[in-house]
Amino acid sequence: MHEDENTKQYVLSILARNNPGVLLRISGLFSRRCYNILSIVACQTEDTDYSRILIVVSGDDRIIRQVDKQVSKLIDVENVTVLQRDKAVIREHLLLKVSRTAQTSEKLVELANVFHANILDVEPDSMILELTGDAGTINSFIELANPYGVLQILRTGAMAMGK
Amino acid sequence: MLLTGAQIIMECLLEQKVDTVFGYPGGAVLNIYDALYEYRDRICHIRTAHEQGAAHAADGYARSTGKAGVCIATSGPGATNLVTGIATAYMDSVPVVAITGNVNVDLLGLDSFQEVDITGITMPVTKHNFLVKHIEDLADTLRQAFQIAQSGRPGPVLVDIPKDVTGQKYDYQKSEPLPLMPLPHPDEKHLQQAAEMLRGSARPFLYLGGGVVASGASAEAKVFAEKLDAPVSASLMAQGAFDAHSPRYMGMLGMHGTKTSAEALRNCDLFVAVGTRFSDRVLCNAGLFARNCPILQIDIDAAEFNKNIDVDLRLEGDARQVLQSLLALLPQQEHTSWMQQVAAWQKQYPLTQSAKAGVLPKDVIETLDALTDSNAIITTEVGQHQMWAAQFYKFRRPRQFLSSGGLGTMGYGLGAALGAQAANPGSTVVNIAGDGSLHMNCVELSTVANYQLPVVELLLNNSVLGMVRQWQKLFYGGRFSQTTLDTNTDFCKLAEAFGVKAYRIRTKEEIEPVLRKALAEHGPVLVDCWVDRDVNVLPMVPAGASAEDPMLEM
Repeated sequence: MHEDENTKQYVLSILARNNPGVLLRISGLFSRRCYNILSIVACQTEDTDYSRILIVVSGDDRIIRQVDKQVSKLIDVENVTVLQRDKAVIREHLLLKVSRTAQTSEKLVELANVFHANILDVEPDSMILELTGDAGTINSFIELANPYGVLQILRTGAMAMGK
Repeated sequence: MLLTGAQIIMECLLEQKVDTVFGYPGGAVLNIYDALYEYRDRICHIRTAHEQGAAHAADGYARSTGKAGVCIATSGPGATNLVTGIATAYMDSVPVVAITGNVNVDLLGLDSFQEVDITGITMPVTKHNFLVKHIEDLADTLRQAFQIAQSGRPGPVLVDIPKDVTGQKYDYQKSEPLPLMPLPHPDEKHLQQAAEMLRGSARPFLYLGGGVVASGASAEAKVFAEKLDAPVSASLMAQGAFDAHSPRYMGMLGMHGTKTSAEALRNCDLFVAVGTRFSDRVLCNAGLFARNCPILQIDIDAAEFNKNIDVDLRLEGDARQVLQSLLALLPQQEHTSWMQQVAAWQKQYPLTQSAKAGVLPKDVIETLDALTDSNAIITTEVGQHQMWAAQFYKFRRPRQFLSSGGLGTMGYGLGAALGAQAANPGSTVVNIAGDGSLHMNCVELSTVANYQLPVVELLLNNSVLGMVRQWQKLFYGGRFSQTTLDTNTDFCKLAEAFGVKAYRIRTKEEIEPVLRKALAEHGPVLVDCWVDRDVNVLPMVPAGASAEDPMLEM
């Protein structure tokens, strides 16, 4: 995707009533207005009547202001916060299945230790690692694991919480 | 009081003072129609020929009264037939409550007979929608639907109700309608800034949009224009929001706006936009619009700020309330030379039409205007005739001009006309139509005949899809692909087949006597008026050009 210099990534933290179809309502608004969702995470909150939906979207300030206002208009949406990266804790969750052999096992464990990743499963010829971190850390981890033979990657979108 | 779901729906409609609904029966709404039979002395049901007509009728009812319009359809195809009408209402911010039946709750999601996910389908074209799966939620959901439809910026709300929910019994307790949601209001600092801008302007331009009609701000807009001493233009949606007989009124702005409005746009030093979303049909080229002056925008919907164009100052609030606040801060202004300049442009650039032979649409509409003393409710379809209606009928008051602006729905006008006539039985209602549009929804002639609704169907028949043909003429080298209709439809015979009286106008001399006769019918009537196919809608701003530079001839 072509991005000009004003394009940045923003995390929208949306608190919405937990009504049926609420995620579709919100994500549908993004697609019909041609706002590109980079990642989306939805979860229950401390109040079971409400869901928290975190959407990473790229665009310039003007687009983000529009997204904010359009989402805020939805009847089920209680409030929308645009989180700035330096004023929020942003984390993703990664599950990585990587090939292993007797020769590479030790190096993979070493890599996991450096990144404080968890080893969730070890099979004769593969291993599942788990890592939580910001997008940069997770990208580096995947890059370093790549030479060993990455079999499968699962990563969530960003979860973000204002400081 | 123990009532069935269907009876609860009726009671909720009565709570909202709904006297007329539009719809079409079917399997999933059998319980609702059984209750309509029981409540027929209190709720009038008008059965249209097609559900699309019912949605447009509910829309016409709403636009002409300001109250929410209600339509009812069965599940599956009945519900999907409403979609165009719902989308039309959504694009023009019209309060409509659409009630659809659905299959029983335990059959939902099983691809059951006549099942469709209508809440999913209508999500992008409704302000909100509901699926009621539990009888205990039914009454509150309907009350919320009316509240949402009518609050703030109005819009359509759909309530989907499975058949078994309408058959179950539940305790109903009467309730007052929910209060409308609170309106935003700009803070004092911004109002002061706006007043300063207004006071500092030597050549202000007041531009009104559909929000002025929706908020009932016409009286305030009139006083504001006088106090500001400014010329006024209005969008298609705001026709009638400002009395077209006023010397301040310059006509529409934008793609088919007047040259006077375009010149005022070029020369003004402040553009004041009230209740308008700056449609691409008005902006034409957004990069060139009002490039030499600041823009002050008043709107109830914050999402309309900086959406299509950047503005210099935004006042978020109800048009009526904001204008009242500004009036209190604005001393009487005088811009004599500016107003004289505007008057000179008006004289220099009148709206004209010419044809080699035959009847001019301008003459037909101006005669209608004269015969109805500018007081009829005019609905339109979409196309050249729609623009001619907006250009040549001199609307006096809001809610007098009903037309599909945002979606541009051919087939809207006849449905809207029957809805408006049902809502305003004492008024003259005329649907100005083109032959392409009438072909789309002519079945509703049977509805006006069945209910003897005295709608005048004024057909400007040029045997072509005029507006598309006009674009083909301009941009496609006159290759008239599929726009020459010449269908041999005898519209008078068609009308008579449905039970509607019909007249024909073929010469200029016939215009007045035939229109006079049609208006005196006091029953449904069609006037098939043959007009020249080479008459264009002018002025016109070609695609990509500035709204300041309309073509005056082509």
